[in-house]
Parts: sequence; C-alpha cells; structure tokens
Amino acid sequence: MVYDGIVIGLIVGWIRAGWRNGLAALSQIRIRGGWIFPVLLLIQLGLYSLHEKVQLIRDYNGYMFMVIYVAGLYMLWLNRKEKGFWWIFVGVGLNFLVMLLNGGKMPVSADAISVIDPTYAATLTDTAIASKHALLNDSTFLPFLADIIPLTLPYPRNLVISIGDVIMNFGIFIYLQQILLAHKHRSSFVETNSHKI
Amino acid sequence: MGGALGFFEQLRQPRNTYAFLVCLVGAILFVAFHRTTFHDYSLSEWVTIYSMVAAVLILEHFTFQLPPEGNRQSMDSSIYLAALFVFGVGFSLLILMFSSVISLIYNRSILWWKHTLNFAIYTFMIICASLTYDWLGGKTGAFGLSGLYAYMLALAVYFAVNVLFVGVYYYLMYKGTLYDFVKNILQDTLFAYMGTLLLSIVLVMLLGNSHSFGLFLFLAIGMLLSHAFRQLFKMYNEMSEKANTDQRTGLYSHSFFEEKLDEYMQQAKEKGTPMSLVMLDLDDFKKYNDSFGHPQGDKLLGFFGSLMKEACNPRELFAARYGGEEFSIIMPGFTGAEAKDFMDKLRKKTNDTPFDGVDVFPHGCVSFSAGIVEMNQESYDKSQWIDWADKALYAAKSKGKNTVSVYGEENHLPQSLEQDINDLEQHLKIFLSKDVYTFKHSKRVFSYAVDMADFLQLGEKDRRLFVLGALIHDIGKLEIPRDILNKKTKLTPEEWEIVKKHVLWGKEIVLVTEKYKDLVPLVELHHERYDGRGYPHGLKGVEIPRLARMLCIIDSFDAMTTERPYQNTKSYEEALEELRQCRGTQFDPELTNHFIQYIESKLLPVQILTLSEREAAASNQDPH
Repeated sequence: MVYDGIVIGLIVGWIRAGWRNGLAALSQIRIRGGWIFPVLLLIQLGLYSLHEKVQLIRDYNGYMFMVIYVAGLYMLWLNRKEKGFWWIFVGVGLNFLVMLLNGGKMPVSADAISVIDPTYAATLTDTAIASKHALLNDSTFLPFLADIIPLTLPYPRNLVISIGDVIMNFGIFIYLQQILLAHKHRSSFVETNSHKI
Repeated sequence: MGGALGFFEQLRQPRNTYAFLVCLVGAILFVAFHRTTFHDYSLSEWVTIYSMVAAVLILEHFTFQLPPEGNRQSMDSSIYLAALFVFGVGFSLLILMFSSVISLIYNRSILWWKHTLNFAIYTFMIICASLTYDWLGGKTGAFGLSGLYAYMLALAVYFAVNVLFVGVYYYLMYKGTLYDFVKNILQDTLFAYMGTLLLSIVLVMLLGNSHSFGLFLFLAIGMLLSHAFRQLFKMYNEMSEKANTDQRTGLYSHSFFEEKLDEYMQQAKEKGTPMSLVMLDLDDFKKYNDSFGHPQGDKLLGFFGSLMKEACNPRELFAARYGGEEFSIIMPGFTGAEAKDFMDKLRKKTNDTPFDGVDVFPHGCVSFSAGIVEMNQESYDKSQWIDWADKALYAAKSKGKNTVSVYGEENHLPQSLEQDINDLEQHLKIFLSKDVYTFKHSKRVFSYAVDMADFLQLGEKDRRLFVLGALIHDIGKLEIPRDILNKKTKLTPEEWEIVKKHVLWGKEIVLVTEKYKDLVPLVELHHERYDGRGYPHGLKGVEIPRLARMLCIIDSFDAMTTERPYQNTKSYEEALEELRQCRGTQFDPELTNHFIQYIESKLLPVQILTLSEREAAASNQDPH
C-alpha cells in the first residue's frame, strides 16, 4: 500500500510540473536520516524470505516488525518540518497503535475481504494470511483502526486498507506534490511580484 | 491570573458573550444527542464514517469562491444532511466532530474559537434539522418520495438556523440592523446555498443506490465544479484588477479611489486611528507637455507613478491617479504631521531623481505640490474632505509650488493687511520668471514673520511693518543679473559685491511707493550683523532696528534650511544649532532665543524634543 501513494503522487506531480521540472525537483529531495528507509525495507524483505525457514523469526516476527516501525516513526519525526510528513507520521502511528495492541499483527476484517472477493473470504483461515496480518475478531482492540476499508473499483487495485494507510498515503501524496511543484511555485511567485510593481 | 481576568474582560463584549454561549449550548446539545459510543458502529459503518469525513474535508478544501472577494460556499452541508437522512443524527454529528477536530489541527490560520463556534453552530443546524425531520415522520434510510415534505422542511430549518446564528454574530460584530444582515446573506448566498441543500438529496439517492461509489461520484463532481468556479473567480479578479488600475501610471484609478476612500474612512472611524488624505499635482506639467509633446508627457506620468508606488507600497498606502497630472494618496494611520513628513521626503526624492527635459521646469527638476488633510470627527463627507485637501493643495501652489501644506495650518491675517500683501505679492511675482527660489524664500520668510509677530506679541503697527518687510525684503535682487543669481559655483569677489548691493537696490525700489517708505529699514538692514560686521553700513547691536535684527535671523534660518535639487540642506535641528552658535556674533541673542523657542514649539513638537531635553540638561550644569 505504501507504493500506491508514491506512484499516484509521482504521476500527478509529473503531470502538473512537467517531466523535466519534476525530474529536476526530484533530484533536490533532502530527507533527514534518509538512509534508514531503504535499510528498513531490506530488513523487512529479509524477514519475509526467512519467515518460513527460521522458527525464531516466525515466533517473534510481530515484535521485529514493531522495532522496524519505531525506527521508521523516528525517521518521520526527524522530518516533521517537511510538508506532508505529519500526515505520514500520524498514519503510520495509527497503524502502529492498532498493531501494538493486537500482538504485533494488523487485524484484517473478513467482511472487507469478502466485499472484494467473496470466494476468497470463504476459504480464509488465520494461518493463510501473511506474517504481518491476523483475522479481526470480537476481542480485537480498536477495530476501527484495523484493515477494514475495502478498496475496489473504481480504484485500479483490490485492497483492504486501514484508515492509517489512507492518512499515510495522503501525506506521501502531499509531500510529493510539494517537492515536484517547488520549482513551479517559485517561478510563479516571482511573476506575481513583478506584476505588482 | 491576568490571563483569566483578560478572558473574562473579553467575554463581556456582547459578540464574545454570544460566541461563548453558542459554544456552550452547542457542546451540551452535542453530548445529549450523540449518546452512542464508538462500539455501537459496525466496521462497515466505520468505513462509511471515514469516507464521509474525508468527503467533508475535501469539500471544505475545494470551496466555491464567489465574487465579490471573501464570499465562499462549501458543499460540506450536503454531506451532513445526507448522513442525517440515511444514517441518523448521531452519525452526522460524529462526522462533524471528526472533521472539525481535523480542520482545527490542520487549519491553524483560523482562530481556535472560530472553529469551536462553527462546530457549535453546525451542531445546532444538524439537530434542528433532525428534529424537524423526525417530527414530520421522516425515516432514516434510502430515499422515498413519500418523505419529500420532511426532507424539504428539514432543509429549510437547517438553512434558517444557519442564517440566524451567523446573522446575529455579524450583527453583534458590526452593529447594524439584524434585518439588513439577514437580507445581505440571503441575497448573496441564497441560490448557491439552495443548490447545496438539494444536492444532499441527490447524495441520499446515490448512497442508497451504489454506496461509496455514489459518494465518490459526488465528490468528483464537487471538486470539478469548484475548480471551474475558481477559474471563473480568477478571471473576475483579473478583470476587476484591470478596471481598478490606471494603465498609464500603474496606480489605482479614480473610481476605485472613491470607492476605497469610503471604506478607509469607515475603518479609521471604527478603530479610532488617525488618517490623512493627500492630493498632489505635478508642477508645470502643461509646460512639459507643450515642450516635448504628449507621448513624452505620458512617460513623465509613468515615471512619477512608479516613484509614488515605490514610496507607498512598503507603507501600505493607497496611491491613485486622480486625473490628468493629479494624484491622491490615502494614508491610514498617519497624522497630518506624519503625512507632511512623508510627502516632503517623497518630494525631495522626486526633485533629486533625474529625468529627461527637466530644464523646462522653473525648479530645474520634477516637482509637485501637495495638500494634506487629516481626518477628524467632523469629516464625515468624503467629497468635502477631498475639497479640503484640494484647498491645501492650492495653498501649496500659491506658495510657489514644490511645497507641501497641511489644511488648517495656513496663516490667517487681518483684513487691512491683506490688500497691502496682495500689492507686494504682485511685485514679487516678477521673481517667478527670474528666480523662483527668491520668490519662495520671500513667501516662507513672510509666513515665519506672521507667526513671529504673534509670538513676540507685536503691536498692530510693528506687526504690519514686520510682515510686509519680510515679504518684500529681497526685492532688490531683481537688479542682480540672472547668471549670478543662478550660478552653481562659488561667486567671485566682484560678483559678491554685486549681490551685496541688493539691499540698497531694494531700498530704492521700496522708496518709489510712498506708502511703503517705512519698510525701508527692514529691506536695507536685514544683512547687518549684531557684532557690526554686516553690510551695507556695518551697524552694531541696538543701532540696528529690532525688527531688522529679527528679520536677519529668520532670513538666515530659511536660507539654511531651504532645499535645492542636487544640494545638501541643513535639517531644522542643525539650523537651530547654527543659530545657537552665532548668538551674540551674527544674531541678537535675545531674539534668537525667542525664535528658537518658536520653532521648537510650533514646527517640531516631536522631533526636537530630544534636543531641547539635552539643552535643558546642559543649562542645569551651567552656573549661569
């Protein structure tokens, strides 16, 4: 889901700013602690691939993801001055909160899955869901923060997401617009100034 | 403690009391009607809540901007109403709460209590609409034609409550009649508002038929419409900007000036702040036009317009082209004295900025005359106000142009003197073509003399003598050749001898008219020095008549402070310092003190304060 916001943000931003301007603007990106993000991604991928093979990882998988989340939140906090990062921070924070309260796994609503694919939901069991998720039930805390929003047509992909995901992707979108259009904003600002003289 | 006291103090204003009460009752109602807790909503209802909150926030972001400026219409009401009709009042209030909290956090440019007030008013609107709907037997759920009356009346109540609450708020804020405010709101927004209300029913149908896709469709249409309206609004702004500016100078146009003047006057009255109005007119513009043609004249206007803009923009003054070569500036927050200070600086700047063909002007530079009027309690009528500024402008013109005068500060003279003054002024007018600086110098010395005559409490006869003598004292300069008078470099000893003779020539000229014979001492002796080293006779101390000694001081002071283009001048403070130093040598010490006192009290009440304080401190240390 993280990539959706990035992809949509880039496409819309490029349309608005123009290909060349957008590319130039992208090269100007400065994120504090930016190296943390790819490192976290690599660790996450590593955990995915080792999940089936190593017993230790399977047992403590949820907590390891929590650590990754805390590191990610710290990186976002460092960049809170950047436009949009507050939203990302809040969104990730909400996801983190609901996962923390539910044993390190994101609860998923079976109803929401059935909206997308009724046949899939019927065959669903707890173990079938990937390492990061758990099925939502009555004992789940803060169920309204869990993955309960079914995304389907007119959206091009079928997904079940949480409100935290929505807020986070909105932040990513805002941030990318800001970055890609920075050049354009600057030039138009000068223009209006000269009109006023 | 102080903060709490201040808070209660503020509450005592009716507008704040009202806001506070509305917020309080709104909060109580919200709690009462919203009974349910978070657990009562199913997960699919939560998804609906999320999407509706998002819809409200998006629609709030994409408000419709309607002309005139500041008028906007948001479609968020249709979401609340649709939620109310389909899911019930608690649902609608929950959406309101979420979106209010988010916009409170996100939109911090709006004061927090305004968010709270808006939240309370919306609570009232939603609850009243809900009560009406229930009372008329409306059922929550999908749209049914049978409930049409319930829908319509609920919408009407929603609208009425909104207009009432907002109307009362603006009524308390701007103190008009309530009826007028409600009427204005109805006139401005009725149709756009009705559209929003009816759209809520459309949304009810869409939600019933295709759930979240219906909402999505609704949002998309709302955003696109808002965008289209924005383009229209932008165009409207551009057009009105064009209509309000004068193309030649880039300043505001006459009609916009008249429109704005009313607003500024209203504002100044409400806030109780001072405000000044300036009318100014380029000197001898016609002459320039005649010499170089209209296209070049237009260039001069454009040039002057940009000078004005440059000076006025940083101080947020409203500068307009009044017509032809007349301009006007509205100066909110400026007293008459401050305005004069500002205008004198602008005048000096204009004088010192080079421009093609300025040689045709009598001052040898671009110059203007300006009249200032400060707003007071009596100025209620803007046309009369403009008229006063115009009068001051003509006073400035008659003082020889390139001057700034403030309305109400012109000198008033007894009738009997006026005839004589007019007479002598005719003589002086010869200088206008020959040496405009001597003309203006004589006028200024004259006006100082009028004031000094009052200050020294001269008798009727002395007063006449002094004032007339001051006006005519340099008349002998008529005999000095132009090239000496206007010479920019230092005079040779021979030329200097010629200049010195002007007092004697002046005496001859005055003697011609029997009536003015008594002015001779002033004309002849105003260059004598107290220590006996002056000319033409080298008289000393009390040998020189008292009035001539006085005139000498005024004459020197004005010569020191006169500005000429491309030359430095002394400030009033520096000139006074010079007078102090020459007490007892060049000038009569007692009269000098009088004059310094007069200048300090009359002309520079503010600027000179520090200086006189310093002097007071110095005189305390002085044993004498």
